[in-house]
Amino acid sequence: MKIPVEINYFAGGLRAMLKVILKFDNPHLFLPINAIIDTGSPTTLIGISDMRRMRLSKVQLNKIQGMTHEVNIGGGKVKTIKLENMKFKIGSYLDIEMDVQFPIDGEEKAQPSLLGVDFLEKINANFCFNPSKREAYLEIN
Amino acid sequence: MNQEIQLLKNFEQDSEWFYNNIGKLREQGFVGKFVAIKNLKPIASDKQIDKVIKEIDKQGENPSFVFIEFVHPQGYVLLL
Repeated sequence: MKIPVEINYFAGGLRAMLKVILKFDNPHLFLPINAIIDTGSPTTLIGISDMRRMRLSKVQLNKIQGMTHEVNIGGGKVKTIKLENMKFKIGSYLDIEMDVQFPIDGEEKAQPSLLGVDFLEKINANFCFNPSKREAYLEIN
Repeated sequence: MNQEIQLLKNFEQDSEWFYNNIGKLREQGFVGKFVAIKNLKPIASDKQIDKVIKEIDKQGENPSFVFIEFVHPQGYVLLL
């Protein structure tokens, strides 16, 4: 199965982007996001603006069980909390559950959402990105 | 389920519009701001994301379903 991936020019270069719906039951979340597929990132991270779009209150954040981490991105630091078993819906292609890191605080407020290597591993996908041909897709056997 | 698909479709269209019109948005003074796009046009913007969310709320829209992205200056490179 091939899942098409968009290529957009964003923040200085071409990026492979996938639209994903994030879902969670408690606290209730339903959020479409545009995430960059980043093979340089070992973990999937939700961007600060996407996080804010969820309008999670501090009380709801406190309900989220998980370990806090500090991750370094492009020279900046982001403090995150891991939300376990978040549901990911990728169009009509795929539904998966995986852990995802949410920023609690960070220096880079415009940090985009990233789908990291853990995402590719979870869906057992080959990721093909040919910027010259403006072609990108995920291939799942 | 149909409602979810429609929401995603609208989100996709607004996202596509943003990336195709980022030059225009820069010319219109949105550089360095978060911009909310709904129905193929900017509906709110500010340097602070929380103010954009508040404005979207005020307009009666659910921020979860509105495409919001930051407009970087021309030539700015974000390393991930």
